[in-house]
Amino acid sequence: MGKIIKKKKAIFFTFIAITIMAIFILVFTPQADVGLEKDTQAITSRISSVDDYVSDLQNRYFENALRTTTYKTILSLIFYMNSTGSYIANLDSAFSEVMLSGKINGVPIDTITGKNIMSGNTLIDWNNKIIQTAKDTFNVNTTIIVNSVSVSQTTPWNIESSISVNFSVNSNVAQWSKSATIKATNSIEGLPDPYYLVNTKSTSSYTNTIKKSGVLFSQWDITKTREHLRNGTYVHWESSDAPSFLMRFTNTISSSSCCGIESLVNPNKISPSDQRESYVDYLFWSHRFSNDCAQLYNINGLWDEFRYFKLEFNHMTIYNVQDTATKTC
Amino acid sequence: MLSKKRGYFFILDALLATLVIVIGVLLIFSSYVNVPKSTQVELLSDDLMNFLSNTKIKDINNPYAGIGGYLWNQGAITDQENTLLQQIGEFYATNKLDVADKFIQNLSAGAVPQQFRYEVWMDGVTIYPKTKTPEHIKSRNSTGLLLTSKKLTFGIINRTTSNLWGPYKAEVYVWEK
Repeated sequence: MGKIIKKKKAIFFTFIAITIMAIFILVFTPQADVGLEKDTQAITSRISSVDDYVSDLQNRYFENALRTTTYKTILSLIFYMNSTGSYIANLDSAFSEVMLSGKINGVPIDTITGKNIMSGNTLIDWNNKIIQTAKDTFNVNTTIIVNSVSVSQTTPWNIESSISVNFSVNSNVAQWSKSATIKATNSIEGLPDPYYLVNTKSTSSYTNTIKKSGVLFSQWDITKTREHLRNGTYVHWESSDAPSFLMRFTNTISSSSCCGIESLVNPNKISPSDQRESYVDYLFWSHRFSNDCAQLYNINGLWDEFRYFKLEFNHMTIYNVQDTATKTC
Repeated sequence: MLSKKRGYFFILDALLATLVIVIGVLLIFSSYVNVPKSTQVELLSDDLMNFLSNTKIKDINNPYAGIGGYLWNQGAITDQENTLLQQIGEFYATNKLDVADKFIQNLSAGAVPQQFRYEVWMDGVTIYPKTKTPEHIKSRNSTGLLLTSKKLTFGIINRTTSNLWGPYKAEVYVWEK
């Protein structure tokens, strides 16, 4: 028996060699670079990409889309007023309808104005564009629900629009659900004043574009007033009775606590030029002084260029043109 | 009896020895298998995309694309707050593809090592390189590893009228030559 074992010694050496080789193979065989860590990195990278998209959507895209649609909506409403010659009954409602659907009272506003402004440019259109592009780019499903839309003024030269949205983004690795109130500010400079358009629709189609006067309160005189009238510029007086830009859409001619602006009506652009009114725009078309001639003054210093131009006492002193004025009657 | 079976032991020993040699050879050759390393290309595509999407016009000092540079003086760039990716998107939206091509070439010249090739796409259209050389196409088609980074981009062309462009899918493709 002992002889047999002695003779089989070689095979034990062979088994030992195989075992050592097996250990070497297990230790040094190149492993495929696929594993939990790799998966985790991929998921982290994907979540990071979609998270950037969600952040962009909330912080930049909604604001940009709101700003662009606000401008187009306001412009469309101005053209609508110019086409119909009438004021907007409820600005918030009309603004919301036009901004979201491009319609006013159920009718596409572009068909009324004859302009191609809102077609493909409503807030819903812009939301659909980002939804589709996000689907193509990140393979995520985005849902956006606009709860409410509003427009207001807190400064004389800017309008502020606001939307309340709920949105969610679903990917195969994570889901984001958020609510946000988005605000955008648009300058009113460069927009036509709807108050002029409606009031001159039947006579002279007088378009006056909002442009802020650079004259300071203490600098007004007959020369500055002449330029002001010539250029059709607007001015904001503290505690004046002037309406704001948005109040002009609804013919709400009363004092705006924050944002009243006014311009002077150029007598050469209206018919008839000689009217018994103060030629401050909101006083002119609200006929505040039509039956109070005693309070009106002819500003003779401007009559060489702007014949029949008149102001009531208060504005005559604000514009500092009393030296060249005479009572109208 | 056992002495007669000695031949089997030799045969078995020879077989086992052969097996050991074969395994050894396989082991040696398998250690030379070329596994492509994705990390560097992946980092490069992400880096290039992050550079384009996080750097603003006002942040670069470039005589062609920076503030006061050639494009700025020509009026082709007007918004210093635009990121480079937004500026590329704006060029694409306004159909200035030649300018976009040179813009990317200028900005990315030092950002991508020589041994790599790359492309920048906007909305499914190749913006850079605008004209692909045969070597470029061959290199792209024959590469073993081509990686992409994607972003969404959009912006405003005219701040007064608030004209929005996009949103576009922006892609950067990077591969080794």
